Amino acid sequence: MTNEDAAARGTGANVDGEMPEAEPEAVTAEATIHDGDTELERTIGLVGGLAIGIGTMIGAGIFVFPGIAAGDAGPAAALSFVIGGVIALLVALPASELATAMPRSGGGYYFVSRSMGTGYGAIVGLGLWLGLVFASAFYLVGLGNYATAVLGEVGIGLSINPVVPLGIFFAVVLTGLSVAGTENTAKIQNVVVAVLLVILTLFLTYGTLNAFGVFGRATAPETFFPRGYFPVLGTAALVFTSYLGFAQVATVAGDIKQPGRNLPLAMVGSVLVVTVFYVVTIFVATSAFSATELEGFGQTAMVEVAREFVGLPGAVAILIAGLLATFSSANASILSASRTVYALSRDALLPRKASEINLRYGTPHVALLAAGGPIVLLVAMNQVEVLAEVASFLHLVMYGLICAAVIVLRRRDPSWYEPSYRMPGAPALPAIGAVASFGLIAFMDPVSMGIGVGIMVVSFVWYRYYAGTVELKGDF
Amino acid sequence: MSDRPTVLVPIRVLDGESIPEGTPALLAKAHVVLLGYHEVPDQTAPGQARMQFEERANQRLDEFERMLEDAGATVETRLVFTHEGQTTIDRMIAEYDCLAVLVPNATSEPEDVLVAVRGTVGTGRLVRVVAGLFADSDVGVTLYHVADEGETDEDAETLLDGIAASLVEAGIEADAIDTRVAHEERAQDAIVDTAAGFDAVVMGESDPTLATFVFGMPAEQVADRFLGPVLVVQREKVDADEDSTTD
Repeated sequence: MTNEDAAARGTGANVDGEMPEAEPEAVTAEATIHDGDTELERTIGLVGGLAIGIGTMIGAGIFVFPGIAAGDAGPAAALSFVIGGVIALLVALPASELATAMPRSGGGYYFVSRSMGTGYGAIVGLGLWLGLVFASAFYLVGLGNYATAVLGEVGIGLSINPVVPLGIFFAVVLTGLSVAGTENTAKIQNVVVAVLLVILTLFLTYGTLNAFGVFGRATAPETFFPRGYFPVLGTAALVFTSYLGFAQVATVAGDIKQPGRNLPLAMVGSVLVVTVFYVVTIFVATSAFSATELEGFGQTAMVEVAREFVGLPGAVAILIAGLLATFSSANASILSASRTVYALSRDALLPRKASEINLRYGTPHVALLAAGGPIVLLVAMNQVEVLAEVASFLHLVMYGLICAAVIVLRRRDPSWYEPSYRMPGAPALPAIGAVASFGLIAFMDPVSMGIGVGIMVVSFVWYRYYAGTVELKGDF
Repeated sequence: MSDRPTVLVPIRVLDGESIPEGTPALLAKAHVVLLGYHEVPDQTAPGQARMQFEERANQRLDEFERMLEDAGATVETRLVFTHEGQTTIDRMIAEYDCLAVLVPNATSEPEDVLVAVRGTVGTGRLVRVVAGLFADSDVGVTLYHVADEGETDEDAETLLDGIAASLVEAGIEADAIDTRVAHEERAQDAIVDTAAGFDAVVMGESDPTLATFVFGMPAEQVADRFLGPVLVVQREKVDADEDSTTD
């Protein structure tokens, strides 16, 4: 399990004269060892890894999308989630292989920059940072919707729509907490995910039994493809935001214990778990209400589904679960975005200052604010579908390149590339994964595509201007 | 391997913790594993802390290493950035097979050391630590046992005399050894009260129970209340650890 690489470093320097940090000397099951015998302890186990993956993903697919997706594609939205899950799995496998060969912070950015060069790395890295910012803003709008629904439930009427103010409020709170909070956030995340899975399992089991008429009120199934086949793919592109979490496991790869075993299990496992939950959720939702009704309920459609089944207690349980889920998704994304900023600054693609640690709290305040600041702006836009699609777009570009990276590395087979997990079916499966990832982008809204391409161009221009001589390709 | 007992000295190197006064003298005959560690919150990548603090941490560790070496100890240093200090400490104990861990607190030049004996289990390691550190010195060793209910004075005396004999065999002067037996309800209170008259305490690590999860390990509590250095003798680690099934 020990990769005895010679300590190497990328070459070149950025405009500020900063060079990429040296690569570690060795990676063991418990620590990363740097030159001069400094070690970085690995403290997240398999459960923690799964909690990051599931906790990031489950918020969106269940608590935000069912109404929107069913409105777009009808009961066939379940198929959209299956397509999303298959694509996610096609990416999770190569990502696992790369992660076991390079278990360092930065995830997809790290893999792509080391296998395909700094240019691709910069596009993916800056794109990942902003992709996570978009994703987090999207989750926060969802959180705002749930908080608004809670206010409605307790009978507080407001003259203005409080979704955006609440979303912004939570964005500020989350950023503040992550800068100044020293409590053990990882442990809290594990508990939140466990509570969520229990509530959802109970709810979905009841809903499924109900749909099959066990409780004596079988529902009339409507047409599976009420809007035709094409919206199924468009909806898959939209809801792909629900599958962005597994790669977040890789952004903290440097903290995962026994990375050779735990990284693949956490990534593939969390994709499988959430895919099942998503598909069952859509099935249950569309068996309780028609697509048009679900669309009318909007982001909090699942609350109405629960109310239909078990009345007020069900609605309350799903409201609480929705608050927890969107909050944990947003939180995990902010932390991953901050890790990505750190990885970029470590490699001199962003100023070293960006990963500076606050002496009072021990937290990377610059990187966290680099995530929280733009999130507040994006929440204020309140464009749920655009936020979701841009987040997916930027992630999909990275996913496609992750698949390509496996093909490139398998062919070139450099001496440092010794993954302890090798995905099956290479090069065909990663090739399909790449085509599917890039292909899904084609089904997006033109506005989202425009913003995504714009961010990629700006990222590349930034790299050429700021760090044009930095060379990170893994020839070490 | 020398017969120097391996003692882990964990120091939160960037939080102002240092090698307290008296520690170098206490560990003069030990092989010290000096662990400088820095705990970072979950939001922070350990590597991020390394980029910023490695140099300062190493300077301080070098300074501490010199203090210990000047007193006569052999020293290995490690610097670890971690989210969980305890995980790191446990890993070091396992990697170096440390006989004891020092809970560092200030003390004067050690003259009298209290050795709390719990039972017959693990006395071999206890003897290795005490003899290794204090043989051929002027340090007085007091063996102390808090008798359980139903345990007679004779039982307790037999236990302590057996350990005293092993210590003598290992090079401690017979007249430097004293034995004491107490009968009180709570061993921990008895140890803390008695320890007030000593410069350091050597005691065993107890089995983790529910109470230790709630109140912390007895050794830590003793260290908190005693305010002097406590050497916690580690249990023998079972090799078939479920967690280490990699490779």
